[in-house]
Amino acid sequence: METKIYILVVEDEPEVLDAIVRDISAFESHFVIEMADTAEEAREIIQSIFDDGNQIGLILCDHVLPGDNGVELLVEMQHDPQTESTQKVLITGQAGLDETVRAVNEADLKHYIAKPWEKEKLVEIVKDQLTEYVLEHVSNPMQFMAVLDGERIAEQIRKAKSVTDN
Amino acid sequence: MSKVKWAGLILGLIGFCLPLFVSFPGLSLAGHFAMSIFLLAAVFWMFETIPIYSTSILVILAEVILLSSQGFIDYSSTSYSPLSYTEFLSTLADPIIILFLGGFILADASVKYDFDKSMTRYLLQPFGSRTSMMVLGLMLVTGFLSAFMSNTATTAMMITVILPIVAKMEPGDPARIGMALSVPFAANIGGMATPIGTPPNAVVIAALNQQGMEVEFSSWMIYAAPLAIVMLLIAWQILIRLYPPDMDAISLNLEGKLKTSTGALILYATFAVTVLLWVTESLHGIKSAIVALIPVAVLTLTSTFQKEDIRKLPWEVLWLIAGGISLGIAMKETGLAEWMVGAISWDQFGYLALLAVFATVALTMSNFLSNTVTASLLIPLAITLVTSGILQGTAGMMMIGLVIALGSSFAMILPISTPPNAIAVSTGMLKTKNMITAGLIIGLIGLGFILLLSMIYWPYLI
Repeated sequence: METKIYILVVEDEPEVLDAIVRDISAFESHFVIEMADTAEEAREIIQSIFDDGNQIGLILCDHVLPGDNGVELLVEMQHDPQTESTQKVLITGQAGLDETVRAVNEADLKHYIAKPWEKEKLVEIVKDQLTEYVLEHVSNPMQFMAVLDGERIAEQIRKAKSVTDN
Repeated sequence: MSKVKWAGLILGLIGFCLPLFVSFPGLSLAGHFAMSIFLLAAVFWMFETIPIYSTSILVILAEVILLSSQGFIDYSSTSYSPLSYTEFLSTLADPIIILFLGGFILADASVKYDFDKSMTRYLLQPFGSRTSMMVLGLMLVTGFLSAFMSNTATTAMMITVILPIVAKMEPGDPARIGMALSVPFAANIGGMATPIGTPPNAVVIAALNQQGMEVEFSSWMIYAAPLAIVMLLIAWQILIRLYPPDMDAISLNLEGKLKTSTGALILYATFAVTVLLWVTESLHGIKSAIVALIPVAVLTLTSTFQKEDIRKLPWEVLWLIAGGISLGIAMKETGLAEWMVGAISWDQFGYLALLAVFATVALTMSNFLSNTVTASLLIPLAITLVTSGILQGTAGMMMIGLVIALGSSFAMILPISTPPNAIAVSTGMLKTKNMITAGLIIGLIGLGFILLLSMIYWPYLI
């Protein structure tokens, strides 16, 4: 079985969670979208994804959550070798400057999306981040050209020769 | 491991063991071992049980162990006089491999300095903004570049050029499909034009060299380039008719400037000199493999092409070619090729029918297999037909070589047929059925042209 790449969305408000998942549903042809409403649940899901031999390409994480907050979860993921490579995006209305700085410095935060978001913008960011991930961590990124940034992937084939004549 | 790979592994091992337990009348002991290697390689290449370049290295290893005078088998009481192991190893540095190395370094340095993109910008300008003319321009430029660079790298580069154009088209515009097909098809066709255009050419030329037949860079171009040009034009017409553009004109914004750093200038000069020396081989007689060392030396000694660039060369393609060459040597030296060819009474065929058979088999096989593998499996048999007198002399040898190399390059009906096809389908701009339709038409017309040339063109040149 081929390794699946997951997109993990962590958000406690059900309507907001639904809206995010709906907006990024175009990626479902090539990625699996998984949802959690607390950091605790997210940890369990992360563990089960790795137990099945799959990878997490991207996490979209709300900051304010019951229990541990989003930034804590992201920092923790950054320190775990399994999830260090996951592209981390904070999607929130209420993270203060200190916490955001911490997410950038300690969790290698890739993007900060303020609520409310525009769908096109969110799709663009998800596309960029997933492209970044597959270029770095997938041996044959060609299969993702149709849903991700085809130009960048073609450029990588040209430069890094992940596909050659045969 | 997938089911197909498992099936390949089991079949390959059965194939390898078969000649060890079954005695084929008329085949020597060495021939039996060569057949073991041949069956193992053929199955592994077909099923891609292991990467195709690994199979190639496995072939060389097995030959050294089973067929060389340093190997484990004692041939003293048989008629086969084993080759030294160096004969099998040296295929990794065969002159054609060195020629490809030179080509690779020129191509990779071009990518490094974006020379391929600069040339594309410059060469596309005269074609203007009419959609159909732009498709022609894309195809001619792709074909030209892929004659000197790898088909895959050319396709990848051109895809980065056409994606922004296609993004401006209406989602339902058939020209999107036409454009997405034009690039891989032109790259496949362009590869035919020169010896370094695509690996099957290398396997064929190396096999001809083994027979003492030198194939000059320029003479290959005279045989094959006209076919490539005509087929580019035909393929263009087919695509324009199958997928007529909705929009008459389309704007093309190619940004960027020709780089003028010292490294880039050294590259341009080296590129020009090397290609000039290659295409004029018949005038000065310096062999193309020797010329190929010029870019290797000049670009590295000037640090235009550095250590990390050398590491990134597609070395596995060279292994693939070497495996094909050494399999051919083993099949010929052990008498296996002769024995296999002897199983069919070819003398009932006319020479044209014979070429037609090989062209059709090459075209069919390489639609499903790697083009290089197809050429590697067919050329030893074809060469044997010539040496055993069924085809006549050097002209016959050259022609059957051309038929196999060009026939396998015309295979473009499926995404798996060639890596350029796979890239084009991956963009999501077209469906596999679009590729099958257009690819089948082009393949059949190409087949017809190959046979036509072997009647009215090649016999008068060779």
